[in-house]
Amino acid sequence: MIAVRNLSKQFGAVRAVQAVDFTAADSRITGLLGANGAGKSTTLRIISTVLKPDSGTVMVDDSDVRVDSLGARRQLGVLPHASGLYPRLTAMENIRYYGELNGLEGTALSQRIAELVELLEMQEFANRPAKGFSQGQRIKVALARVLVHRPKNLVLDEPTNGLDVMAIRALRTIIRRLRDRGHCLLFSSHVMQEVAALCDDIIIIAHGRIVARGTPDEIRQHTGETDLEEAFMKAVGESGVTP
Amino acid sequence: MMRKLWTVFRKEVLDNLRDRRTLLTVLVFGPLFGPVLYVGMMNLMTNKQLANLNQPLKLPVQGARYAPNLVEYLKQHNTDIQSAPADPRQAVKNGSVDVVLVIPKEYAAAFRAGQPAVVQLVMDQSKDSAQKNVERARNLLQSYGQEIAALRLLARGVDPRALAPLAVESVDVSTPQSRAVLILGFVPYFFLFAAIIGAFYLAIDVTAGERERGSLEPLLTTAVARSTLMSGKLAAVTVFSAVSLGLDVMALSWSQGLIPAAKLNIVVNFGWHTALAAFLLTVPFCLLIAALLTVVASFTRSYKEAQTWLSFIFILPMIPVFALIMFPTEPTLWMMWVPALSQDVLVTSLIKGAALSGAFVAISVSSTLALGLLLAWLATWLYCREQVLG
Repeated sequence: MIAVRNLSKQFGAVRAVQAVDFTAADSRITGLLGANGAGKSTTLRIISTVLKPDSGTVMVDDSDVRVDSLGARRQLGVLPHASGLYPRLTAMENIRYYGELNGLEGTALSQRIAELVELLEMQEFANRPAKGFSQGQRIKVALARVLVHRPKNLVLDEPTNGLDVMAIRALRTIIRRLRDRGHCLLFSSHVMQEVAALCDDIIIIAHGRIVARGTPDEIRQHTGETDLEEAFMKAVGESGVTP
Repeated sequence: MMRKLWTVFRKEVLDNLRDRRTLLTVLVFGPLFGPVLYVGMMNLMTNKQLANLNQPLKLPVQGARYAPNLVEYLKQHNTDIQSAPADPRQAVKNGSVDVVLVIPKEYAAAFRAGQPAVVQLVMDQSKDSAQKNVERARNLLQSYGQEIAALRLLARGVDPRALAPLAVESVDVSTPQSRAVLILGFVPYFFLFAAIIGAFYLAIDVTAGERERGSLEPLLTTAVARSTLMSGKLAAVTVFSAVSLGLDVMALSWSQGLIPAAKLNIVVNFGWHTALAAFLLTVPFCLLIAALLTVVASFTRSYKEAQTWLSFIFILPMIPVFALIMFPTEPTLWMMWVPALSQDVLVTSLIKGAALSGAFVAISVSSTLALGLLLAWLATWLYCREQVLG
């Protein structure tokens, strides 16, 4: 479970996040939806302890990121905006490095890596250096790195960016499977359809504030729009399609 | 924590060993730059010096027929008399000959009358490479003059020794080993250079490079304290620096056999004992330079920018080295507090064969290590700020 409590963060004069407050529950897929620059990435970076909040806090299960950032990171798997593989290391070595950093070792680690290679269908390129990977292959390795230590909570920053249709479908399947196993999944997107297709809960964020929240149905009801995209436009306060 | 530090260290080493540029720099360019330059220069210099002395002096002479005895004397003393160019001054000016001896036709009359007989050496003082030949010609003429003077005094019944009231002898107390320092003066800088270049690319790769690749943010989300990450990285940079230094010291120790030391009447004392001592004296500098380069690279926005800034650091250890070459002084205590200078002074003494003061070594090692640890702490502090993401 990831509980975001009254979070604010300012960069110079820019208020990136203001009083953001929500909970991403276990066994649920929570989507953070917003335009580019709305504050999604900043929120996720504070959750992943890369940035510190100006006020408010985040609880990852029972660890407060402000007090015990290391403990929070132990229960987190984070896929940031850039996949950031090491180009001179192979897919396996990239995954192994993160496994070791997160405290795995020996046969347990080797078994886990083999499992992930199979789960994400990486057999073909598992032993190649990451340098020449396609975007789809990179995301797979990055995802394997995130999953290697079996974190309870997963934070994915626009994971489908640059993926083709097949890869997106495969990723959705994996995300759903993880939810069914009881994981807490929080992911951000600026694509309405994606959030609608996948999420159990949606949080719509605009200009650093939460403007709407709920299940897809609740959001439709709340805004009085049947089309989620119209609902989104209404929620963020922009005028819809002009007649 | 130690296990994770080791994980980070091992990954950085493996990752960078796969980078051809880093590998070439650490294993080949860094360690061999000094010794190759040094052996090459030494051989070139000595060959030129020795060749000049053994070869006959080529001396164009104008008016040789006015002074047959003088010309005969020159010939007997390893001089190759050549016909003079039509315009000696012009020929020397444009550099086609180094020096021309001009004997005017009044020479014979003056010589016979016992007057100073004028001869001219046409030369160009601004032309450095010609000075050796000018000097040789002048010395030959002087010794001919002294011989004639002695004969004239003898003819008058005077002891020629009356003309030499003083006999000046130079007593050279330098040993063949201490003379080697003239040549080996640059060796400490080569060591420092190798240490810097060994750390160079790695320091950039683990900071600005990691940020530019986008691998920094995911790394920071792993369950490892940032101080541990930075410590592992610094350890890798330090080890690369030390490897480059170690190879450089070994290469130099091995290359001493290639230097024509005997011809120069020096002894190059750089056996493996000295080499090991030089390595141990210099290796604290590796931590210092690794941390310094990492700190500077942490401030830069990109790999390219880091390269530009870090290049300036090569100049830093050169300052004390040049200062010592220009103002040679005995080692004093305050120098031991200055990194780069202290290593330079101590390694120079080592090569000279002088005894090293234990206190000096202790201060040099501990002050360099202390500053290195301070910079390592600074690098870690910078890494813990959120601006590290740039």
